[in-house]
Amino acid sequence: MNWLHTFFALILLLTIGAGVIRILKGPTAADRMMTAQLFGTCGVAILLLLSTGMNNLVLLDIALVFALLATLATLTFIRRTWQGSGKRKHDYPL
Amino acid sequence: MTILYNCGTVLLMAGVLFFLSGTVGLLRFPDIYSRLHALTKADNVGLGCIVFGLALQSGSIAVTIKLILIWLLVLIASSASCHLIARSAMQKNIQPWTRS
Amino acid sequence: MIYSILTLFDILLALTLLWLSWNLLNTEDIFKAVVLFISFGLLMALTWVRMRAPDVALAEAALGAGLTGPLFLSALRRMNRFLKGERRLDCDENREKDNGKNPKQTQAT
Repeated sequence: MNWLHTFFALILLLTIGAGVIRILKGPTAADRMMTAQLFGTCGVAILLLLSTGMNNLVLLDIALVFALLATLATLTFIRRTWQGSGKRKHDYPL
Repeated sequence: MTILYNCGTVLLMAGVLFFLSGTVGLLRFPDIYSRLHALTKADNVGLGCIVFGLALQSGSIAVTIKLILIWLLVLIASSASCHLIARSAMQKNIQPWTRS
Repeated sequence: MIYSILTLFDILLALTLLWLSWNLLNTEDIFKAVVLFISFGLLMALTWVRMRAPDVALAEAALGAGLTGPLFLSALRRMNRFLKGERRLDCDENREKDNGKNPKQTQAT
């Protein structure tokens, strides 16, 4: 019955592949960063499903490291990159 | 045993459906705020469904505790970064999408 | 049954990695390249898992997602501050501003 877990992991990998489109054509920088965060969540789910599909409980630890560290990029992006030079008040066309 | 396993399978299916709807929302929604809404909520519910499905199927206390710990970590990180992104977008005067 | 699905998973993973790395090398936008590199690191960790090397996957997840991404983003901001007057394609807001600015400069000259 483990093939069902692997099949679900395959569907989630397809989901990641569809999310690359949003990185490629995202209008603002935050869209791209949000998609990277989606990849983190999807990667955690894929690792959890593969840990049953491959009968390997070590993958849970890798998923724990993913969940800890995948958000650091988003936090650094908000604190360092995106609010760059002071307060700008221009209307950005969406 | 079998009933628990089948309940876990149903939860896994629901989780994958939530993930799919979150990605469709990320691809199709017109605005950064609505995209944020689709991504953070739907994906965390999907991850919760997958975690509880796997916890029902695993049948071991240690694995269940580790799975729930992973889910709580993802919840905290995702809600914090969602809040930060939305506040930063409001500070940069990005207007929300309205039906024109 | 399970081996065929795992083979399909591997093929899809390899194709996604190739597509991602091609776009990463081909883009002009530096910020987009950084985000593509972060997602490349995540998928590379999945690839190490599939190659049955979980220790390398652990190191790749910690380094690729947790260390290299924030370092690149910090370096991007330093570079923005450093190259203030030069025209670059790093963030979209700067690109919008530059697109508004450049025709005026060409008209003035």
